[in-house]
Amino acid sequence: MVSGNGTPLEVFTSVCDDFYATARAVAASGRKVAGYFCSYAPQELLHAAGYFPVRALGRPGGTPRADQLLQAYACSLARSSFDAALSGEFDFMDLVVFSHTCDTMQNLADLWRSSRPNQRVIIVSAPSVTAGAAAHAYYRKVLGDVREQIEALSGPISDDAIRASIELYARHRDLIQRLYTLRREHSERLSGQDLLAVVTSSVMMPKEDHLALLEPFVVELEAAADPAPKRLPRVFVAGSVCQNMGFITALEEAGCMVVDDDLCMGSRSFSLPDAPAGDPVDALVEMYLGRRPCPAFHTAGFDPGAFLVERARAARAAGVVFLLTKFCDPWFFDYPHVNKTLEAAGIPGLLVEVEQNLPVPEQFRTRAEAFVEMLKAKAD
Amino acid sequence: MANRIGIKVQNKVKEVVFMSLLRGTLAKRKLDQKIAKLAGGKKKSNGVKRIPIKTADKMKLLMGRYYIKAKIAEKDPDQKIAWITSGGPVEILHAAGVTPIYPENHAAMIGTTRMADSLCSVAEDQGYSRDLCSYARSDFGSILSKKSPIGGSPRPDFLVCCNNICGTVTKWYQELQRIFDVPLIMIDAPYQYGDDRPEAIDYVKAQLQEMMDKVGQITGKPIQWSRFEETVYRSKEALQLWRNVQDMLAHRPAPMNSFDTFIHLAPIVTLRGTPECIEYYKTLQAEMQGRIRNGIASVEGEKYRLGWDNLAIWYKIQFLAKKFGEYKAALVVSTYAKSFCYEAPYQDEKDILRTMAANYIAGYINHGLDYRERELLEMAEKFHLDGFVMHSNRSCRAYSFGQYELARRMEEKYGLPTIMIEADQSDTRSWSDEQIGTRIDAFMESLIARKNAAAK
Repeated sequence: MVSGNGTPLEVFTSVCDDFYATARAVAASGRKVAGYFCSYAPQELLHAAGYFPVRALGRPGGTPRADQLLQAYACSLARSSFDAALSGEFDFMDLVVFSHTCDTMQNLADLWRSSRPNQRVIIVSAPSVTAGAAAHAYYRKVLGDVREQIEALSGPISDDAIRASIELYARHRDLIQRLYTLRREHSERLSGQDLLAVVTSSVMMPKEDHLALLEPFVVELEAAADPAPKRLPRVFVAGSVCQNMGFITALEEAGCMVVDDDLCMGSRSFSLPDAPAGDPVDALVEMYLGRRPCPAFHTAGFDPGAFLVERARAARAAGVVFLLTKFCDPWFFDYPHVNKTLEAAGIPGLLVEVEQNLPVPEQFRTRAEAFVEMLKAKAD
Repeated sequence: MANRIGIKVQNKVKEVVFMSLLRGTLAKRKLDQKIAKLAGGKKKSNGVKRIPIKTADKMKLLMGRYYIKAKIAEKDPDQKIAWITSGGPVEILHAAGVTPIYPENHAAMIGTTRMADSLCSVAEDQGYSRDLCSYARSDFGSILSKKSPIGGSPRPDFLVCCNNICGTVTKWYQELQRIFDVPLIMIDAPYQYGDDRPEAIDYVKAQLQEMMDKVGQITGKPIQWSRFEETVYRSKEALQLWRNVQDMLAHRPAPMNSFDTFIHLAPIVTLRGTPECIEYYKTLQAEMQGRIRNGIASVEGEKYRLGWDNLAIWYKIQFLAKKFGEYKAALVVSTYAKSFCYEAPYQDEKDILRTMAANYIAGYINHGLDYRERELLEMAEKFHLDGFVMHSNRSCRAYSFGQYELARRMEEKYGLPTIMIEADQSDTRSWSDEQIGTRIDAFMESLIARKNAAAK
């Protein structure tokens, strides 16, 4: 255990206050650390090889070094993570893993490799199409190859070890999903910002450590009594990665409850289906292609508008707040359709462009308050 | 009787389309004159004298006929229309007798005729972010407002999207599918960081096979293999001709420049696989041979030679040609014009489909930095370049991210200077003639000083 003392929630929150402190401590203790980009990176493979997979989510502050190599119209997640790497803040990562998603991440992977020659980079060439035999066969080959690349660094990874990691991650995912259910059904027991702290800390801590804290935390919450209802407007949050939890805090401070999300650093990362029996790499193929898609992918027949309406209704949300990272093309292409579908379903939306590395702007608070007031007036 | 009415309708459609095309051409000509006047182009300033490329007139006819055919196809239920990305496997469509329509070509025309700002605004008013690709925005704006330089594109029966040029097209075509509610065929061509992976080629081959089956289902007629083969060979021939034409710009002085090649790539994008396309590039090749024989230069008194990276800045082609021309600098090669004729290292005449798959992976922007560096260096050597002009294109992250690093490598490893022009392919709203002009002045002066110093 490297995350200090306190209640589980205090630990989760303190981990989020300084994203990579835990990982640095783990690295200092001698365990190998693999930083990864995008929730599509096959963490189970890294874990099975003995790595502690930690998610790279950028960090607050300016990006002067990255700006020399990456245009200003790259998203803040890319620029701030790259800046951290260029200033040596990510040197504790023995390995960095990219999985192909959007154009920005695709090109950043290469820039990273060329700018950090002493850091090993593995790029997982995931297909951009998730359905069909051809995509599955291709991804199977890619993951088999990635396994070999990792093995070249770590030594052989047994099928049993991969199965054990899949099992560990599944147990963890199951608890996270129970927490989301709690948040939807018993919204007074846990705030939206606390839920996000649990979720975000889980990619910054060794899975075993997080699980050890999460299990009693969830069990206790499930058994707890409901506090008196606050009758605040229920809000659903959708968007790209939003690692600045200040946005969720500010939203709830504006007088609403964030009851569910479709965020990349949120429920979307935990939407993988259960592993089928058999070959563990085959299982990973099914899990990662079968999960709820990031908008950078093409899933035939998937309608992100209808999907969000269904999710918002299931959470009994009165409105949806879009927290979209500025320059996140995949999301911004979907946004007009998704918002129109919501409007047609009578669910108002609020679009917010987020710069991940900057503090929550004052203007956001004003807009959040106005939105919450509007939801209250609508409910009356 | 029904047939005669059909012919009447067809003639009426032809007339309407022809008039709208003519109007578009006239409007463009007027605009060209206006721009030339503003730029002081009527005077032969600094001795820059351009002898126009005659084949360009042929292209206007060729492309005009193609659009008229497409417009007629829209009224004919038996004639299917597919919208397809510029890097898409159009040979399958031609072999199936499907009319291909290129939203990117249309968007480039919107950019050239300076309609992009207003059409982008239409899209932005509907919620599309101003940070999205301006081709996609102006396409949506054109569909929504029905405004277009050529009277609009005919409605698609289905869509074909190949992501070998960017991930943006995946999102763009998903949106088109929502707008038109027609089938979307996605071809996923994985980005390559090193040598082209065999499993990626197999993956694309499998998708091309599926596409052939799907297109056959949509038209109701399975694609004949012999016809497909013939189309592929025609395409190959046209691509070779287009490569030859570009290679002729290695001649000093270059008989035409990269800005001309941006215009002359329309047939290779749209019509590769057809006999007309081959004819067109044969004519262009012959004209270029003639120009070389007769010593006709694109930039008279050519002294400096530059390479171009990224899409054209459609609304500033003349400004840039003139600006560089003032320094006797000719743009003689571009990664952009070459993008439409890449041939993969893997070629197997016995497996046409797999060869085609490899070729559709092979393009410049479907590859990582090391590949791009090699390409740029090869261009620099073959075309005797003195430096690069890189268009850092707000609309195209896939093309642009990495340019700063490539510029650095060109300078540090090979002593080749680069000017980075921060702009957009068709949205003019962040462009300033004065600002860019001053930067080009500074770049050319420093390049000339370096060259002079090196000569001493």
